[in-house]
Amino acid sequence: MTALPIDARPVSGGRVLARTCAAEWTRLWTVAATWWFLAAAAVVCTGIGVAAGSEAAADPAEELTAWGVIAFAVVPAQFALLALALTAGTADHTTGGIVPTLQWTPRRPVLLGARVLVVVGTTAGLGVLVAGAAALAVGAVHGPALGLPAGEGGTLLATVALVVGAGAGLALGLALLLRSTAGALVAVVLLEFVLPLFLGNAGFAWARALAEWLPGSSAVFLLTGEPAQLSTAEAVPVVLGWAAGALVLGGLRLLRGDADR
Amino acid sequence: MIRIRGLTKRYGTVLAVDDLSFDVEPGAVTGFLGPNGAGKSTTMRMVLGLDRPTAGEALVDGRPFATLAEPLRRVGALLDPGALHPGRTGRSHLLVAARTSGIPLRRVEEVLDEVGLGGAARRRVKGYSLGMRQRLGIAAALLGDPRVLLFDEPVNGLDLDGVRWIRGLLRRLADEGRTVLVSSHLLGEVQQIADRLVVIGRGRLIADATTEEILGGLGRPQVRVRGARADDLAAALRRPGLTVAPGGDGDLLVEGATAEEVGALAHAADVPLWHLSDVRPSLEQAYLELTGVATEFVTTAPAPVRTAEPAR
Ligand SMILES: Nc1ncnc2c1ncn2[C@@H]1O[C@H](COP(=O)(O)OP(=O)(O)OP(=O)(O)O)[C@@H](O)[C@H]1O
Ligand SMILES: [Mg+2]
Repeated sequence: MTALPIDARPVSGGRVLARTCAAEWTRLWTVAATWWFLAAAAVVCTGIGVAAGSEAAADPAEELTAWGVIAFAVVPAQFALLALALTAGTADHTTGGIVPTLQWTPRRPVLLGARVLVVVGTTAGLGVLVAGAAALAVGAVHGPALGLPAGEGGTLLATVALVVGAGAGLALGLALLLRSTAGALVAVVLLEFVLPLFLGNAGFAWARALAEWLPGSSAVFLLTGEPAQLSTAEAVPVVLGWAAGALVLGGLRLLRGDADR
Repeated sequence: MIRIRGLTKRYGTVLAVDDLSFDVEPGAVTGFLGPNGAGKSTTMRMVLGLDRPTAGEALVDGRPFATLAEPLRRVGALLDPGALHPGRTGRSHLLVAARTSGIPLRRVEEVLDEVGLGGAARRRVKGYSLGMRQRLGIAAALLGDPRVLLFDEPVNGLDLDGVRWIRGLLRRLADEGRTVLVSSHLLGEVQQIADRLVVIGRGRLIADATTEEILGGLGRPQVRVRGARADDLAAALRRPGLTVAPGGDGDLLVEGATAEEVGALAHAADVPLWHLSDVRPSLEQAYLELTGVATEFVTTAPAPVRTAEPAR
Protein backbone atom coordinates (compact mmCIF):
# COMPACT_ATOMS: atom_id res chain seq x y z
CA MET A 1 0.00 0.00 0.00
CA THR A 2 1.39 3.34 -0.96
CA ALA A 3 1.18 5.95 1.71
CA LEU A 4 -0.93 8.71 0.36
CA PRO A 5 -0.43 12.17 1.77
CA ILE A 6 -2.90 12.50 4.56
CA ASP A 7 -4.60 15.80 4.54
CA ALA A 8 -4.16 16.73 8.17
CA ARG A 9 -3.90 20.48 7.85
CA PRO A 10 -6.79 22.03 9.65
CA VAL A 11 -8.73 24.36 7.40
CA SER A 12 -10.57 27.19 9.11
CA GLY A 13 -14.21 27.82 8.43
CA GLY A 14 -13.40 31.30 7.15
CA ARG A 15 -11.01 29.87 4.61
CA VAL A 16 -13.59 27.35 3.41
CA LEU A 17 -16.07 30.19 2.97
CA ALA A 18 -13.52 32.29 1.08
CA ARG A 19 -12.74 29.38 -1.26
CA THR A 20 -16.42 28.70 -1.81
CA CYS A 21 -16.94 32.38 -2.64
CA ALA A 22 -14.11 32.17 -5.17
CA ALA A 23 -15.76 29.09 -6.69
CA GLU A 24 -19.15 30.86 -6.80
CA TRP A 25 -17.52 33.82 -8.52
CA THR A 26 -16.06 31.52 -11.17
CA ARG A 27 -19.42 29.74 -11.50
CA LEU A 28 -21.13 33.06 -12.12
CA TRP A 29 -18.78 34.33 -14.79
CA THR A 30 -18.24 31.09 -16.70
CA VAL A 31 -21.79 30.96 -18.02
CA ALA A 32 -22.88 33.12 -20.92
CA ALA A 33 -26.19 34.15 -19.30
CA THR A 34 -24.37 36.37 -16.81
CA TRP A 35 -22.67 38.32 -19.58
CA TRP A 36 -25.88 38.61 -21.63
CA PHE A 37 -27.90 39.94 -18.71
CA LEU A 38 -25.15 42.41 -17.84
CA ALA A 39 -25.04 43.61 -21.44
CA ALA A 40 -28.84 43.92 -21.49
CA ALA A 41 -28.84 45.96 -18.28
CA ALA A 42 -26.15 48.28 -19.65
CA VAL A 43 -27.92 48.77 -22.99
CA VAL A 44 -31.33 49.42 -21.39
CA CYS A 45 -29.96 51.79 -18.76
CA THR A 46 -27.76 53.78 -21.12
CA GLY A 47 -30.25 53.74 -23.97
CA ILE A 48 -33.22 54.90 -21.92
CA GLY A 49 -30.99 57.33 -20.04
CA VAL A 50 -29.69 59.01 -23.19
CA ALA A 51 -33.14 59.06 -24.81
CA ALA A 52 -34.84 60.48 -21.72
CA GLY A 53 -31.90 62.87 -21.35
CA SER A 54 -32.74 64.64 -24.60
CA GLU A 55 -36.20 65.51 -23.29
CA ALA A 56 -34.85 66.63 -19.94
CA ALA A 57 -32.09 68.69 -21.56
CA ALA A 58 -34.68 70.43 -23.73
CA ASP A 59 -36.61 71.53 -20.66
CA PRO A 60 -34.16 73.34 -18.36
CA ALA A 61 -37.03 74.33 -16.04
CA GLU A 62 -36.95 70.76 -14.68
CA GLU A 63 -33.46 71.29 -13.27
CA LEU A 64 -32.63 67.64 -13.77
CA THR A 65 -29.12 66.21 -13.65
CA ALA A 66 -27.74 63.16 -15.47
CA TRP A 67 -28.18 61.26 -12.19
CA GLY A 68 -31.83 62.20 -12.00
CA VAL A 69 -32.37 60.82 -15.50
CA ILE A 70 -30.54 57.59 -14.66
CA ALA A 71 -32.66 57.07 -11.53
CA PHE A 72 -35.62 56.48 -13.87
CA ALA A 73 -33.61 54.37 -16.33
CA VAL A 74 -32.54 51.99 -13.55
CA VAL A 75 -36.16 50.99 -12.93
CA PRO A 76 -36.48 48.94 -16.14
CA ALA A 77 -32.75 48.10 -16.32
CA GLN A 78 -32.77 46.42 -12.91
CA PHE A 79 -34.89 43.56 -14.27
CA ALA A 80 -31.98 42.29 -16.37
CA LEU A 81 -29.84 42.25 -13.23
CA LEU A 82 -32.53 40.50 -11.20
CA ALA A 83 -32.71 37.89 -13.96
CA LEU A 84 -28.95 37.48 -13.63
CA ALA A 85 -29.29 36.78 -9.90
CA LEU A 86 -32.27 34.52 -10.51
CA THR A 87 -30.59 32.31 -13.09
CA ALA A 88 -27.51 32.12 -10.88
CA GLY A 89 -29.85 30.62 -8.28
CA THR A 90 -31.78 28.21 -10.48
CA ALA A 91 -28.93 27.06 -12.77
CA ASP A 92 -27.69 24.32 -10.44
CA HIS A 93 -31.19 22.95 -9.97
CA THR A 94 -32.34 23.05 -13.58
CA THR A 95 -29.13 21.53 -14.99
CA GLY A 96 -28.35 18.98 -12.28
CA GLY A 97 -25.20 20.94 -11.47
CA ILE A 98 -26.25 20.78 -7.82
CA VAL A 99 -24.86 17.22 -7.71
CA PRO A 100 -21.22 18.21 -8.28
CA THR A 101 -21.74 21.48 -6.40
CA LEU A 102 -22.70 19.69 -3.20
CA GLN A 103 -19.96 17.13 -3.70
CA TRP A 104 -17.43 19.93 -3.75
CA THR A 105 -19.09 21.99 -1.00
CA PRO A 106 -20.98 19.52 1.16
CA ARG A 107 -21.33 21.98 4.02
CA ARG A 108 -24.61 23.43 2.90
CA PRO A 109 -24.62 26.49 5.17
CA VAL A 110 -21.25 27.45 3.63
CA LEU A 111 -22.62 26.98 0.11
CA LEU A 112 -25.70 29.05 0.95
CA GLY A 113 -23.65 31.81 2.56
CA ALA A 114 -21.21 32.02 -0.34
CA ARG A 115 -23.97 31.95 -2.93
CA VAL A 116 -25.89 34.76 -1.25
CA LEU A 117 -22.77 36.88 -0.70
CA VAL A 118 -21.44 36.47 -4.22
CA VAL A 119 -24.71 36.68 -6.15
CA VAL A 120 -26.26 39.55 -4.17
CA GLY A 121 -22.93 41.39 -3.84
CA THR A 122 -22.07 41.02 -7.51
CA THR A 123 -25.53 42.03 -8.69
CA ALA A 124 -25.57 45.13 -6.47
CA GLY A 125 -22.07 46.02 -7.65
CA LEU A 126 -23.06 45.59 -11.29
CA GLY A 127 -26.08 47.82 -10.65
CA VAL A 128 -23.76 50.57 -9.42
CA LEU A 129 -21.42 50.03 -12.36
CA VAL A 130 -24.19 50.06 -14.95
CA ALA A 131 -25.88 53.13 -13.44
CA GLY A 132 -22.57 54.98 -13.08
CA ALA A 133 -21.49 54.24 -16.64
CA ALA A 134 -24.91 55.19 -18.01
CA ALA A 135 -24.83 58.49 -16.08
CA LEU A 136 -21.40 59.30 -17.53
CA ALA A 137 -22.76 58.55 -21.01
CA VAL A 138 -25.76 60.85 -20.43
CA GLY A 139 -23.44 63.54 -19.11
CA ALA A 140 -21.18 63.17 -22.12
CA VAL A 141 -24.03 63.30 -24.67
CA HIS A 142 -26.11 66.06 -23.12
CA GLY A 143 -23.21 68.26 -22.07
CA PRO A 144 -23.69 71.01 -19.51
CA ALA A 145 -27.50 70.83 -19.64
CA LEU A 146 -27.41 67.63 -17.57
CA GLY A 147 -24.57 67.79 -15.06
CA LEU A 148 -23.00 65.15 -12.84
CA PRO A 149 -22.87 66.64 -9.33
CA ALA A 150 -20.81 64.33 -7.11
CA GLY A 151 -23.02 64.48 -4.03
CA GLU A 152 -26.18 63.48 -5.89
CA GLY A 153 -24.22 60.76 -7.68
CA GLY A 154 -23.09 59.22 -4.40
CA THR A 155 -26.63 59.14 -3.05
CA LEU A 156 -28.08 57.64 -6.21
CA LEU A 157 -25.43 54.96 -6.54
CA ALA A 158 -25.89 53.97 -2.88
CA THR A 159 -29.63 53.75 -3.49
CA VAL A 160 -29.07 51.65 -6.62
CA ALA A 161 -26.86 49.29 -4.61
CA LEU A 162 -29.58 48.95 -1.96
CA VAL A 163 -32.48 48.49 -4.38
CA VAL A 164 -30.72 46.16 -6.82
CA GLY A 165 -29.07 44.24 -3.97
CA ALA A 166 -32.41 43.72 -2.23
CA GLY A 167 -34.04 42.78 -5.54
CA ALA A 168 -31.25 40.27 -6.17
CA GLY A 169 -31.81 38.81 -2.71
CA LEU A 170 -35.51 38.40 -3.46
CA ALA A 171 -34.79 36.86 -6.87
CA LEU A 172 -32.16 34.47 -5.49
CA GLY A 173 -34.36 33.47 -2.57
CA LEU A 174 -37.27 32.67 -4.89
CA ALA A 175 -34.90 30.82 -7.22
CA LEU A 176 -33.67 28.59 -4.40
CA LEU A 177 -37.20 28.09 -3.15
CA LEU A 178 -38.87 27.28 -6.48
CA ARG A 179 -35.84 25.72 -8.26
CA SER A 180 -37.40 26.66 -11.59
CA THR A 181 -36.39 29.59 -13.77
CA ALA A 182 -39.85 30.14 -15.21
CA GLY A 183 -41.56 29.91 -11.83
CA ALA A 184 -39.14 32.24 -10.09
CA LEU A 185 -39.26 34.69 -12.98
CA VAL A 186 -43.04 34.90 -12.83
CA ALA A 187 -42.91 35.44 -9.06
CA VAL A 188 -40.30 38.20 -9.33
CA VAL A 189 -42.11 40.02 -12.13
CA LEU A 190 -45.38 39.80 -10.19
CA LEU A 191 -43.88 41.16 -6.98
CA GLU A 192 -41.60 43.77 -8.50
CA PHE A 193 -43.72 45.03 -11.37
CA VAL A 194 -47.18 43.69 -12.17
CA LEU A 195 -48.84 43.63 -8.75
CA PRO A 196 -47.50 47.01 -7.56
CA LEU A 197 -48.64 48.59 -10.82
CA PHE A 198 -52.13 47.07 -10.92
CA LEU A 199 -52.92 47.14 -7.22
CA GLY A 200 -51.41 50.62 -6.91
CA ASN A 201 -53.78 51.94 -9.56
CA ALA A 202 -56.78 49.94 -8.44
CA GLY A 203 -60.04 51.57 -7.39
CA PHE A 204 -60.00 50.03 -3.90
CA ALA A 205 -58.21 51.56 -0.97
CA TRP A 206 -57.20 48.13 0.36
CA ALA A 207 -55.55 47.26 -2.94
CA ARG A 208 -53.53 50.46 -2.91
CA ALA A 209 -52.56 49.87 0.72
CA LEU A 210 -51.47 46.34 -0.16
CA ALA A 211 -49.41 47.63 -3.11
CA GLU A 212 -47.42 49.82 -0.74
CA TRP A 213 -46.17 46.69 1.01
CA LEU A 214 -44.91 45.07 -2.15
CA PRO A 215 -41.19 45.29 -2.91
CA GLY A 216 -41.71 46.80 -6.39
CA SER A 217 -43.47 49.94 -5.08
CA SER A 218 -40.76 50.64 -2.53
CA ALA A 219 -37.98 49.96 -5.04
CA VAL A 220 -39.42 52.50 -7.49
CA PHE A 221 -40.01 55.01 -4.69
CA LEU A 222 -36.44 54.73 -3.42
CA LEU A 223 -35.05 55.32 -6.91
CA THR A 224 -37.41 57.99 -8.22
CA GLY A 225 -39.27 59.40 -5.22
CA GLU A 226 -42.63 58.34 -6.69
CA PRO A 227 -45.32 57.65 -5.58
CA ALA A 228 -44.94 60.40 -3.04
CA GLN A 229 -47.12 58.90 -0.28
CA LEU A 230 -44.32 56.48 0.70
CA SER A 231 -41.35 57.39 2.85
CA THR A 232 -37.76 56.18 2.92
CA ALA A 233 -38.20 54.98 6.49
CA GLU A 234 -40.96 52.66 5.30
CA ALA A 235 -39.53 51.67 1.94
CA VAL A 236 -36.11 50.50 3.09
CA PRO A 237 -37.42 47.91 5.57
CA VAL A 238 -39.94 46.70 2.96
CA VAL A 239 -37.35 45.91 0.27
CA LEU A 240 -34.94 44.40 2.80
CA GLY A 241 -37.71 42.43 4.49
CA TRP A 242 -38.83 40.82 1.22
CA ALA A 243 -35.26 39.92 0.34
CA ALA A 244 -34.59 38.45 3.78
CA GLY A 245 -37.87 36.53 3.80
CA ALA A 246 -37.27 34.99 0.39
CA LEU A 247 -33.68 34.09 1.26
CA VAL A 248 -34.75 32.41 4.50
CA LEU A 249 -37.32 30.26 2.71
CA GLY A 250 -35.08 29.46 -0.25
CA GLY A 251 -32.13 28.86 2.07
CA LEU A 252 -34.11 26.40 4.17
CA ARG A 253 -34.93 24.40 1.07
CA LEU A 254 -31.24 24.27 0.12
CA LEU A 255 -30.19 23.30 3.65
CA ARG A 256 -32.88 20.74 4.36
CA GLY A 257 -33.90 19.19 1.08
CA ASP A 258 -32.49 16.40 -1.05
CA ALA A 259 -30.34 17.66 -3.89
CA ASP A 260 -33.05 17.11 -6.46
CA ARG A 261 -33.15 18.98 -9.67
CA MET B 1 -12.78 3.50 4.10
CA ILE B 2 -16.54 3.78 3.85
CA ARG B 3 -18.74 2.55 6.64
CA ILE B 4 -22.47 2.16 6.10
CA ARG B 5 -24.75 1.28 9.00
CA GLY B 6 -28.49 0.75 8.91
CA LEU B 7 -28.79 3.10 5.95
CA THR B 8 -32.41 3.57 4.90
CA LYS B 9 -34.05 5.91 2.40
CA ARG B 10 -37.73 6.22 1.76
CA TYR B 11 -39.11 8.33 -1.09
CA GLY B 12 -42.79 8.57 -0.30
CA THR B 13 -43.99 5.00 -0.59
CA VAL B 14 -40.81 3.71 -2.26
CA LEU B 15 -38.31 2.13 0.10
CA ALA B 16 -35.24 2.74 -2.06
CA VAL B 17 -32.64 1.61 0.48
CA ASP B 18 -33.61 -0.68 3.33
CA ASP B 19 -31.43 -1.05 6.42
CA LEU B 20 -28.20 -1.47 4.50
CA SER B 21 -24.90 -2.11 6.34
CA PHE B 22 -21.48 -2.83 4.86
CA ASP B 23 -17.91 -1.60 4.83
CA VAL B 24 -15.77 -0.68 1.86
CA GLU B 25 -12.12 -1.36 2.66
CA PRO B 26 -9.06 0.41 1.28
CA GLY B 27 -6.70 -1.30 -1.13
CA ALA B 28 -9.38 -3.15 -3.04
CA VAL B 29 -11.94 -2.55 -5.73
CA THR B 30 -15.38 -3.20 -4.30
CA GLY B 31 -18.09 -3.84 -6.85
CA PHE B 32 -21.53 -2.57 -5.87
CA LEU B 33 -23.95 -4.72 -7.74
CA GLY B 34 -27.69 -4.75 -8.12
CA PRO B 35 -30.38 -4.69 -10.80
CA ASN B 36 -31.99 -1.46 -12.00
CA GLY B 37 -33.69 0.35 -9.17
CA ALA B 38 -31.91 -1.67 -6.48
CA GLY B 39 -30.79 1.48 -4.69
CA LYS B 40 -27.11 1.74 -5.71
CA SER B 41 -27.23 5.37 -6.78
CA THR B 42 -29.38 6.31 -3.81
CA THR B 43 -26.85 4.71 -1.46
CA MET B 44 -24.01 6.62 -3.09
CA ARG B 45 -25.98 9.87 -2.94
CA MET B 46 -26.47 9.38 0.78
CA VAL B 47 -22.77 8.64 1.31
CA LEU B 48 -22.08 11.97 -0.40
CA GLY B 49 -24.67 13.84 1.64
CA LEU B 50 -26.79 14.65 -1.41
CA ASP B 51 -29.85 12.88 -0.04
CA ARG B 52 -30.72 12.78 3.62
CA PRO B 53 -31.05 9.23 4.98
CA THR B 54 -34.40 8.34 6.50
CA ALA B 55 -32.40 6.35 9.04
CA GLY B 56 -28.86 5.14 9.59
CA GLU B 57 -25.57 6.71 8.64
CA ALA B 58 -22.73 6.61 6.18
CA LEU B 59 -19.22 7.56 7.28
CA VAL B 60 -16.17 8.28 5.15
CA ASP B 61 -12.95 7.80 7.09
CA GLY B 62 -15.03 7.96 10.24
CA ARG B 63 -16.80 11.21 9.45
CA PRO B 64 -19.97 12.18 7.66
CA PHE B 65 -19.00 13.44 4.21
CA ALA B 66 -20.99 16.63 4.71
CA THR B 67 -18.63 17.81 7.45
CA LEU B 68 -15.47 17.71 5.32
CA ALA B 69 -13.65 21.00 4.75
CA GLU B 70 -11.78 19.85 1.65
CA PRO B 71 -14.00 17.05 0.35
CA LEU B 72 -12.26 16.72 -3.01
CA ARG B 73 -8.98 15.89 -1.29
CA ARG B 74 -10.63 12.99 0.52
CA VAL B 75 -13.41 11.68 -1.67
CA GLY B 76 -13.73 11.69 -5.44
CA ALA B 77 -17.05 10.67 -6.90
CA LEU B 78 -18.63 10.21 -10.27
CA LEU B 79 -22.40 10.10 -10.11
CA ASP B 80 -24.68 11.18 -12.94
CA PRO B 81 -22.28 12.33 -15.68
CA GLY B 82 -25.00 14.50 -17.23
CA ALA B 83 -25.61 16.43 -14.05
CA LEU B 84 -23.64 19.59 -14.74
CA HIS B 85 -24.10 22.99 -16.35
CA PRO B 86 -24.00 22.44 -20.13
CA GLY B 87 -22.93 26.03 -20.79
CA ARG B 88 -19.58 25.78 -19.03
CA THR B 89 -16.46 24.44 -20.69
CA GLY B 90 -14.95 21.26 -19.31
CA ARG B 91 -12.04 23.29 -18.06
CA SER B 92 -14.10 25.88 -16.19
CA HIS B 93 -16.19 23.08 -14.66
CA LEU B 94 -12.97 21.73 -13.13
CA LEU B 95 -11.71 25.22 -12.24
CA VAL B 96 -14.77 25.71 -10.05
CA ALA B 97 -14.07 22.34 -8.43
CA ALA B 98 -10.42 23.18 -7.80
CA ARG B 99 -11.31 26.50 -6.15
CA THR B 100 -13.63 24.85 -3.63
CA SER B 101 -10.93 22.68 -2.10
CA GLY B 102 -7.92 24.92 -2.58
CA ILE B 103 -6.44 22.67 -5.25
CA PRO B 104 -3.70 24.24 -7.42
CA LEU B 105 -5.12 25.14 -10.83
CA ARG B 106 -2.39 23.28 -12.73
CA ARG B 107 -4.00 20.05 -11.43
CA VAL B 108 -6.92 20.89 -13.72
CA GLU B 109 -4.73 20.59 -16.84
CA GLU B 110 -3.13 17.44 -15.44
CA VAL B 111 -6.38 15.55 -14.90
CA LEU B 112 -7.78 16.78 -18.22
CA ASP B 113 -4.82 15.18 -19.96
CA GLU B 114 -5.04 12.10 -17.78
CA VAL B 115 -8.61 11.37 -18.87
CA GLY B 116 -7.91 12.29 -22.47
CA LEU B 117 -9.99 15.46 -22.60
CA GLY B 118 -7.09 17.85 -23.16
CA GLY B 119 -8.25 18.70 -26.66
CA ALA B 120 -11.88 19.32 -25.74
CA ALA B 121 -11.23 21.20 -22.51
CA ARG B 122 -12.16 24.59 -23.89
CA ARG B 123 -15.38 23.45 -25.53
CA ARG B 124 -18.75 23.73 -23.85
CA VAL B 125 -19.97 20.58 -22.11
CA LYS B 126 -23.16 20.94 -24.20
CA GLY B 127 -21.24 19.51 -27.15
CA TYR B 128 -19.72 16.57 -25.26
CA SER B 129 -20.72 12.99 -25.95
CA LEU B 130 -21.82 10.77 -23.07
CA GLY B 131 -18.39 9.20 -22.94
CA MET B 132 -16.72 12.62 -22.79
CA ARG B 133 -18.99 13.67 -19.93
CA GLN B 134 -18.13 10.44 -18.19
CA ARG B 135 -14.45 11.27 -18.57
CA LEU B 136 -14.99 14.79 -17.29
CA GLY B 137 -16.73 13.39 -14.21
CA ILE B 138 -13.80 11.05 -13.65
CA ALA B 139 -11.39 13.97 -14.02
CA ALA B 140 -13.29 15.81 -11.29
CA ALA B 141 -13.15 12.73 -9.08
CA LEU B 142 -9.37 12.46 -9.51
CA LEU B 143 -8.73 16.19 -9.10
CA GLY B 144 -7.94 16.21 -5.39
CA ASP B 145 -5.97 12.93 -5.39
CA PRO B 146 -8.48 11.47 -2.90
CA ARG B 147 -8.11 8.27 -0.92
CA VAL B 148 -11.74 7.29 -1.33
CA LEU B 149 -13.41 7.01 -4.73
CA LEU B 150 -16.99 6.24 -5.70
CA PHE B 151 -17.99 5.57 -9.28
CA ASP B 152 -21.62 5.06 -10.26
CA GLU B 153 -21.73 3.00 -13.47
CA PRO B 154 -18.53 4.53 -14.82
CA VAL B 155 -18.39 2.48 -18.02
CA ASN B 156 -21.77 3.68 -19.26
CA GLY B 157 -21.28 5.26 -22.64
CA LEU B 158 -17.60 4.42 -22.92
CA ASP B 159 -16.16 2.66 -25.95
CA LEU B 160 -14.05 -0.46 -25.67
CA ASP B 161 -10.86 1.53 -25.19
CA GLY B 162 -12.59 3.59 -22.54
CA VAL B 163 -13.81 0.51 -20.70
CA ARG B 164 -10.30 -0.94 -20.70
CA TRP B 165 -8.91 2.37 -19.51
CA ILE B 166 -11.43 2.53 -16.64
CA ARG B 167 -10.57 -1.00 -15.56
CA GLY B 168 -6.88 -0.15 -15.48
CA LEU B 169 -7.57 3.05 -13.60
CA LEU B 170 -9.68 1.35 -10.93
CA ARG B 171 -7.05 -1.35 -10.49
CA ARG B 172 -4.28 1.20 -10.14
CA LEU B 173 -6.26 3.30 -7.65
CA ALA B 174 -6.91 0.26 -5.48
CA ASP B 175 -3.32 -0.93 -5.74
CA GLU B 176 -2.22 2.47 -4.51
CA GLY B 177 -4.13 1.74 -1.34
CA ARG B 178 -7.25 3.72 -2.04
CA THR B 179 -10.81 2.75 -1.25
CA VAL B 180 -12.68 2.17 -4.51
CA LEU B 181 -16.42 1.52 -4.76
CA VAL B 182 -17.78 0.99 -8.26
CA SER B 183 -21.41 0.25 -9.00
CA SER B 184 -22.86 -1.69 -11.88
CA HIS B 185 -25.99 -3.57 -12.75
CA LEU B 186 -24.02 -6.08 -14.82
CA LEU B 187 -21.89 -8.68 -13.12
CA GLY B 188 -19.85 -9.15 -16.26
CA GLU B 189 -18.73 -5.53 -16.04
CA VAL B 190 -17.20 -5.77 -12.59
CA GLN B 191 -16.27 -9.43 -12.16
CA GLN B 192 -12.80 -8.96 -13.67
CA ILE B 193 -11.85 -5.92 -11.65
CA ALA B 194 -13.70 -6.23 -8.36
CA ASP B 195 -11.95 -7.95 -5.46
CA ARG B 196 -15.08 -7.86 -3.39
CA LEU B 197 -18.74 -7.63 -4.29
CA VAL B 198 -21.56 -6.04 -2.36
CA VAL B 199 -24.79 -7.22 -3.94
CA ILE B 200 -28.11 -5.51 -3.22
CA GLY B 201 -31.63 -5.99 -4.46
CA ARG B 202 -34.66 -3.86 -3.65
CA GLY B 203 -32.54 -1.82 -1.30
CA ARG B 204 -31.51 -4.79 0.84
CA LEU B 205 -28.13 -6.42 1.22
CA ILE B 206 -28.00 -9.79 -0.55
CA ALA B 207 -24.33 -10.63 -0.36
CA ASP B 208 -21.09 -9.07 0.81
CA ALA B 209 -18.12 -11.30 0.05
CA THR B 210 -15.10 -11.69 -2.19
CA THR B 211 -15.79 -12.03 -5.89
CA GLU B 212 -14.43 -15.61 -5.76
CA GLU B 213 -16.83 -16.58 -2.99
CA ILE B 214 -19.79 -15.11 -4.76
CA LEU B 215 -19.01 -16.66 -8.11
CA GLY B 216 -18.04 -20.03 -6.66
CA GLY B 217 -20.21 -20.42 -3.63
CA LEU B 218 -23.52 -18.95 -4.40
CA GLY B 219 -24.22 -20.65 -7.67
CA ARG B 220 -24.42 -24.30 -6.58
CA PRO B 221 -22.40 -26.71 -8.73
CA GLN B 222 -24.48 -29.14 -10.75
CA VAL B 223 -24.05 -32.17 -12.93
CA ARG B 224 -25.81 -32.60 -16.24
CA VAL B 225 -26.56 -36.15 -17.13
CA ARG B 226 -28.44 -38.03 -19.88
CA GLY B 227 -29.00 -41.77 -19.92
CA ALA B 228 -31.01 -44.55 -21.45
CA ARG B 229 -33.88 -44.75 -18.91
CA ALA B 230 -34.38 -41.31 -17.45
CA ASP B 231 -36.91 -42.40 -14.83
CA ASP B 232 -34.76 -45.22 -13.48
CA LEU B 233 -31.74 -42.92 -13.48
CA ALA B 234 -33.61 -40.21 -11.57
CA ALA B 235 -34.83 -42.73 -9.01
CA ALA B 236 -31.31 -44.11 -8.57
CA LEU B 237 -29.93 -40.62 -8.02
CA ARG B 238 -32.68 -39.56 -5.60
CA ARG B 239 -32.22 -42.66 -3.43
CA PRO B 240 -29.02 -41.35 -1.73
CA GLY B 241 -30.69 -37.92 -1.27
CA LEU B 242 -29.58 -35.96 -4.34
CA THR B 243 -31.82 -33.30 -5.84
CA VAL B 244 -32.70 -34.08 -9.43
CA ALA B 245 -34.48 -31.74 -11.81
CA PRO B 246 -35.36 -32.06 -15.49
CA GLY B 247 -32.85 -30.12 -17.57
CA GLY B 248 -34.71 -30.18 -20.86
CA ASP B 249 -34.13 -32.51 -23.85
CA GLY B 250 -34.34 -35.49 -21.52
CA ASP B 251 -31.37 -34.22 -19.49
CA LEU B 252 -31.29 -34.35 -15.73
CA LEU B 253 -29.67 -31.72 -13.56
CA VAL B 254 -28.27 -33.12 -10.35
CA GLU B 255 -27.36 -30.95 -7.43
CA GLY B 256 -25.00 -31.72 -4.59
CA ALA B 257 -22.88 -34.34 -6.33
CA THR B 258 -19.85 -34.54 -8.60
CA ALA B 259 -19.77 -36.15 -12.04
CA GLU B 260 -17.84 -39.11 -10.59
CA GLU B 261 -20.53 -39.79 -8.01
CA VAL B 262 -23.31 -39.55 -10.57
CA GLY B 263 -21.42 -41.86 -12.92
CA ALA B 264 -20.95 -44.43 -10.14
CA LEU B 265 -24.61 -44.31 -9.15
CA ALA B 266 -25.69 -44.79 -12.79
CA HIS B 267 -23.33 -47.71 -13.12
CA ALA B 268 -24.67 -49.33 -9.96
CA ALA B 269 -28.24 -48.93 -11.31
CA ASP B 270 -27.09 -50.37 -14.62
CA VAL B 271 -28.20 -47.37 -16.69
CA PRO B 272 -26.03 -46.61 -19.73
CA LEU B 273 -25.05 -42.96 -19.86
CA TRP B 274 -24.93 -40.88 -23.04
CA HIS B 275 -23.79 -37.66 -21.49
CA LEU B 276 -22.22 -36.62 -18.20
CA SER B 277 -20.74 -33.20 -17.36
CA ASP B 278 -20.10 -30.79 -14.51
CA VAL B 279 -22.01 -27.56 -14.86
CA ARG B 280 -20.19 -24.57 -13.43
CA PRO B 281 -23.01 -22.11 -13.07
CA SER B 282 -22.25 -19.14 -15.30
CA LEU B 283 -21.40 -15.92 -13.58
CA GLU B 284 -24.52 -14.27 -14.84
CA GLN B 285 -26.51 -17.20 -13.53
CA ALA B 286 -25.03 -16.89 -10.06
CA TYR B 287 -25.86 -13.22 -10.08
CA LEU B 288 -29.38 -13.76 -11.30
CA GLU B 289 -29.87 -16.37 -8.67
CA LEU B 290 -28.83 -13.88 -6.03
CA THR B 291 -30.95 -11.05 -7.26
CA GLY B 292 -33.70 -12.95 -9.04
CA VAL B 293 -35.82 -13.10 -5.95
CA ALA B 294 -35.11 -9.48 -5.20
CA THR B 295 -35.58 -7.84 -8.56
CA GLU B 296 -38.02 -5.02 -8.51
CA PHE B 297 -39.27 -5.57 -12.01
CA VAL B 298 -40.50 -9.08 -12.63
CA THR B 299 -40.32 -9.89 -16.30
CA THR B 300 -42.28 -12.60 -18.02
CA ALA B 301 -39.27 -13.85 -19.97
CA PRO B 302 -38.13 -17.27 -18.74
CA ALA B 303 -35.09 -16.57 -16.63
CA PRO B 304 -32.13 -18.92 -17.11
CA VAL B 305 -32.00 -19.29 -13.36
CA ARG B 306 -35.06 -21.57 -13.46
CA THR B 307 -33.16 -24.49 -14.98
CA ALA B 308 -30.96 -24.47 -11.91
CA GLU B 309 -33.88 -24.61 -9.52
CA PRO B 310 -35.03 -27.92 -8.10
CA ALA B 311 -38.32 -29.08 -9.54
CA ARG B 312 -41.13 -29.36 -7.11
N1 LIG C 1 -35.76 11.28 -6.08
C1 LIG C 1 -36.47 10.15 -6.05
N2 LIG C 1 -37.80 10.19 -5.81
C2 LIG C 1 -38.52 9.05 -5.75
N3 LIG C 1 -38.02 7.82 -5.93
C3 LIG C 1 -36.72 7.72 -6.18
C4 LIG C 1 -35.86 8.87 -6.25
N4 LIG C 1 -34.61 8.44 -6.50
C5 LIG C 1 -34.67 7.10 -6.59
N5 LIG C 1 -35.93 6.66 -6.40
C6 LIG C 1 -36.36 5.25 -6.40
O1 LIG C 1 -35.50 4.53 -5.55
C7 LIG C 1 -35.21 3.25 -6.08
C8 LIG C 1 -33.72 3.07 -6.19
O2 LIG C 1 -33.21 3.92 -7.21
P1 LIG C 1 -31.67 4.02 -7.56
O3 LIG C 1 -31.51 5.07 -8.58
O4 LIG C 1 -30.90 4.15 -6.31
O5 LIG C 1 -31.38 2.59 -8.20
P2 LIG C 1 -30.06 2.05 -8.89
O6 LIG C 1 -29.68 0.82 -8.16
O7 LIG C 1 -29.05 3.11 -9.00
O8 LIG C 1 -30.59 1.63 -10.32
P3 LIG C 1 -29.91 1.74 -11.79
O9 LIG C 1 -29.10 0.50 -12.01
O10 LIG C 1 -31.08 1.78 -12.70
O11 LIG C 1 -29.09 2.98 -11.81
C9 LIG C 1 -35.95 3.16 -7.39
O12 LIG C 1 -37.15 2.48 -7.16
C10 LIG C 1 -36.23 4.60 -7.75
O13 LIG C 1 -37.42 4.70 -8.48
MG1 LIG D 1 -28.17 4.14 -10.60
